[in-house]
Amino acid sequence: MGRFTYLKRNLEQLVFRNRDQHKIPTMDGVMTPNNLLDALEEVGGPVPGADDVALGPEGTLFLTAGNEVLKLGGPHFENRSVFMNFESETGGLTFHPDGRLLVCVSGEGLASINLDGSVTWLTSVENEALGCLTAVTAASDGSIYLTDGSRTNRSADWKRDLMELNASGRLVRCSSSLTDSEVLADGLHFPNGLCLSSDHKEVWFTQSWNHSLSRIEAGGISTGKITTVIDNLPAYPARMSPAKDGGFWIALFAVRTHLTELILLEDDYRKEMMRSIPVNYWPGPELRSTSDCMEPMQFGNIITLGVKKPWAPARSYGLVIRVGRNGEPMESLHSRRGGLNHGICSVLETDMYLFAVSKGRGQLLCKILGRSDERN
Amino acid sequence: MHDTNVDTTKFFFRLSSSVSPRLLLSELLMKKWFEPAVPFTLLVALILTLCLTVPNFATVRNVVSLATLYPEFGFVVLAMGLSMISGGIDLSVGAIFAFCNLIALILLLVLEWSIPGVIMGTLAAGAFVGSINGFLVGYLKTRPFLTTLVTVIIVRSVVNLLNQEHALTFATNYVESDAWDFIASGQVLGIPVNAMTLIVVLIIGHILLSRSRFGWRLTAVGASRKAARHAGVNVNAMLFSTYIISGLLCAMSGIFFAARQASSDSFTGLGWEFQALTAAVLGGISFAGGNGTVWRAMIGGLVIFLLNNGLVRMGVPGYITSSSVGIILLVAVAIDVKWSKNSSKASELLYVNPTRIPLARRPSIDAGDDNPFARNDRLLSSEIFGLNQVEGPEDVILDRQGRVYGSTRDGNIIRFSGENFKRREVFAHIGGRPLGMQFDPDENLIVCVAGMGVYGVTREGEAYKVTDETNRTWYKLNDDSRLRMADDLDIAPDGKIYFSDCTTRYEMTTNALDVIEGRPNGRLIVYDPKTGKTHTEINHLHFPNGICVSHDGQSVLIASTSLSRVYRYWIEGPRKGGLETLLDELPGCCDNINRASDGTYWLALIGIRSPAFDLAGHMPGFRRRMVREIPVDEWLVPSLNQGCVVKFNDAGEVLESYWDPEGVNHPSVTSMREHKGYLYLAGLENNRLGRIKIEGADTEWTGFDAYWGDPQKGSA
Repeated sequence: MGRFTYLKRNLEQLVFRNRDQHKIPTMDGVMTPNNLLDALEEVGGPVPGADDVALGPEGTLFLTAGNEVLKLGGPHFENRSVFMNFESETGGLTFHPDGRLLVCVSGEGLASINLDGSVTWLTSVENEALGCLTAVTAASDGSIYLTDGSRTNRSADWKRDLMELNASGRLVRCSSSLTDSEVLADGLHFPNGLCLSSDHKEVWFTQSWNHSLSRIEAGGISTGKITTVIDNLPAYPARMSPAKDGGFWIALFAVRTHLTELILLEDDYRKEMMRSIPVNYWPGPELRSTSDCMEPMQFGNIITLGVKKPWAPARSYGLVIRVGRNGEPMESLHSRRGGLNHGICSVLETDMYLFAVSKGRGQLLCKILGRSDERN
Repeated sequence: MHDTNVDTTKFFFRLSSSVSPRLLLSELLMKKWFEPAVPFTLLVALILTLCLTVPNFATVRNVVSLATLYPEFGFVVLAMGLSMISGGIDLSVGAIFAFCNLIALILLLVLEWSIPGVIMGTLAAGAFVGSINGFLVGYLKTRPFLTTLVTVIIVRSVVNLLNQEHALTFATNYVESDAWDFIASGQVLGIPVNAMTLIVVLIIGHILLSRSRFGWRLTAVGASRKAARHAGVNVNAMLFSTYIISGLLCAMSGIFFAARQASSDSFTGLGWEFQALTAAVLGGISFAGGNGTVWRAMIGGLVIFLLNNGLVRMGVPGYITSSSVGIILLVAVAIDVKWSKNSSKASELLYVNPTRIPLARRPSIDAGDDNPFARNDRLLSSEIFGLNQVEGPEDVILDRQGRVYGSTRDGNIIRFSGENFKRREVFAHIGGRPLGMQFDPDENLIVCVAGMGVYGVTREGEAYKVTDETNRTWYKLNDDSRLRMADDLDIAPDGKIYFSDCTTRYEMTTNALDVIEGRPNGRLIVYDPKTGKTHTEINHLHFPNGICVSHDGQSVLIASTSLSRVYRYWIEGPRKGGLETLLDELPGCCDNINRASDGTYWLALIGIRSPAFDLAGHMPGFRRRMVREIPVDEWLVPSLNQGCVVKFNDAGEVLESYWDPEGVNHPSVTSMREHKGYLYLAGLENNRLGRIKIEGADTEWTGFDAYWGDPQKGSA
């Protein structure tokens, strides 16, 4: 079977000579690499496993990291305390308009932490477990939207999900009370973040494995039509959040490389790799780079005359982009090869700050924003 | 996942690893002589078909009769081919042929010249018409196509005029001459005289085209007129003479035709220019010029001639014959255009042919493991010197005065001396890319230079060539007599220089492809200074890199980079000539080997076998598609950003390792050299040299003395 797909590819290359081999767009225009992410300030010390951040009441921040939800208070968010502890890894979190904190818990479902500290769970939708919740958001009418990345893998096993070429993710809506829930869209390529449009009429969401940004009507029924806004991002998108001007911030946790795209086509190699090699030594995207020589190396990464080339293929990368109301890219912040702040999983704009969570580094980062009219 | 049952020292295994149909095809495509393969096959197929379908085709009588009929057309095709090789075209070949036929008859029958006079006169007439073409094309720079087209019209009308005038004379007059009869129907060694003449002309033409200054210049003019002029070729004269030769060839054809047929009419040679054109293109003489041989013209000519002849004898009407020739011309031209555009691309596309790499088990390198490969930080304490003063020193060596030698990418040998090696000087400029180094007993520094060969530098810093070629392997298509990438060397006690030529298929800049290909493309070569002869000692080695003569001088250790192995090759003693594996199951790709003071050896590992690359090593198809489909920078390669030096002994036991696991001080260590208790480090991609103190090493030991003895202490 493998042979046939290779032959087909060879023939396609002969017949469609001008077709791109792997359609990774070049990062140019507003996507031109810079070092802006590395210029962000650190908020406190390292937080291993930091994943998502939400703005809490009275200027506090809530951060998911490992199995915990941390509360960050104080003028510079220097007071850290454990707000809640779960059995397994926490992921996306958000505040419900009624003040409840909603937390995605890997392998379990959505935890709703009531004001009195009790926890209510949404563990399944349409009799199928929600094992890989990646992000959550709530609308002003109280309904809650969730992305479930995969039916078979937990969120920490995202790399396996990519290599298995899965497309079993779901976009889920449930009522404020978590009692009624429905699947808005199914068969998604690891939906990994979502956000409501400023008028709350549409849900915008990202799919990591087909590198896309899409939208769907929020009030729609489960057959609602998905519109693709960007179909070919140069990186794997993760969580989204609203930008002040009505657009969106998108965190992209790793960039695509030609080698990864090739391996996704190479069934024999990929299957044997998944069978016989530990996951951290697989070629493919990563949240952080180490200098471990057991990790796969791409030729461009060779240190030449003492220089690590920043343009070399990046095993990990830091990238945040802002898109406008209609999804047109407006600006981008990068941390290139050799930079620190890789594997950005979420980004949050508040009145005074732009926060970014580098899961690769395990660090909450921020930039103090100027007046909002400065940015045009 | 590893291959323990493969014995990579066996010649048959290594030879068979060098063979693949795809590789053969890519190498054939690069051969000039392979280009007419298709028309040649066509010719053979046509002959076979005719033998089977046309009655009495395969008889001696018929062959002789065809050999009598063909040469006139053959000369004309040759004339056309020659003008095409010069980058032009001579459409007047048919007309000149008819004209010369007529002139020969007039000279013979009307003017009643002697036979030699007739021949000379006709040749002069052909040359004259050719010279008109040549003058116009060569000196007045007119377009060959239009020029010769006009010549056709003029010459044809002259022929028709003269024909009308003399037709009666031709029909009635008759000359009784043995010489003329011999030209018409004589035989030499059983071959018709005209065919014999053609063969002689072909041989002369072949030598002229392929072995003479005239031929090379002609081809150069055809390939690029501008470049030829810049190279000092007199383009005008070349073109002028080409068309004269073309005219002469047509004249020969005319003489034989006149002798045989003794008639002329307005149909003589009509349409021959197109038949000849078809033949030349079909034979593989490119329209673009600069590419063709006389044999290709003959292959094409024979195909067209036999096709015409066969179709006529099968009773096919003439118009079908001519239209089929037209169709052949169309197809041949299309193939010619595609071929000249794409054949180099095709061979490039097919050139890299990975095969399964027979890697042995990969040992653990985990820090804390109880094995000699366990990662440690021992190279992190190195003293760095020569920072940014060397560029990619592949090797480092010290002389008897304790001065350190490194190199730069632009072919300089750099010498460091003084306190902390602060004093830097360019010791010598060799050029190329200096790699492995060693001192000979006279303290000349012998250097392997990628792209050049093996060079020496005297104590005064004067560079000289040691050797740059070896014997060609008779069964290889690729000419491997040149040294492509001499990598490392060592000198045996008898003064013979053993060195590795790591690849015969790639270059310094593309040698990563050789590792990815994983075929035994390299060899061990020996240069004997006594005889001045260079000889390939072991062919088909997988990227032989480091070379070290063992402490006892009985064997040479050879490091194979792509197989992560070290071989021992016996040069003396009872097992002389034997190749055996000394080390396998290494965690990385081996680079240079050098002697250690305690009777063991140092080995640099340039690359570490990551599990992902090892897996690719077992999947040649994956690697082939990888190099074809994704950019160089994206290729999966062994990990190259760390430094690792291991120590092993003559028994093949690895004793310890020194690591810079994250390449902080010394990424990509490719060589190390022990000298007075220190280990000096160099790396192919580094901008520095460095050294570490070796605990417990002999602080008096130097490499030079170990090889050649200390003159103060007497011979070692």
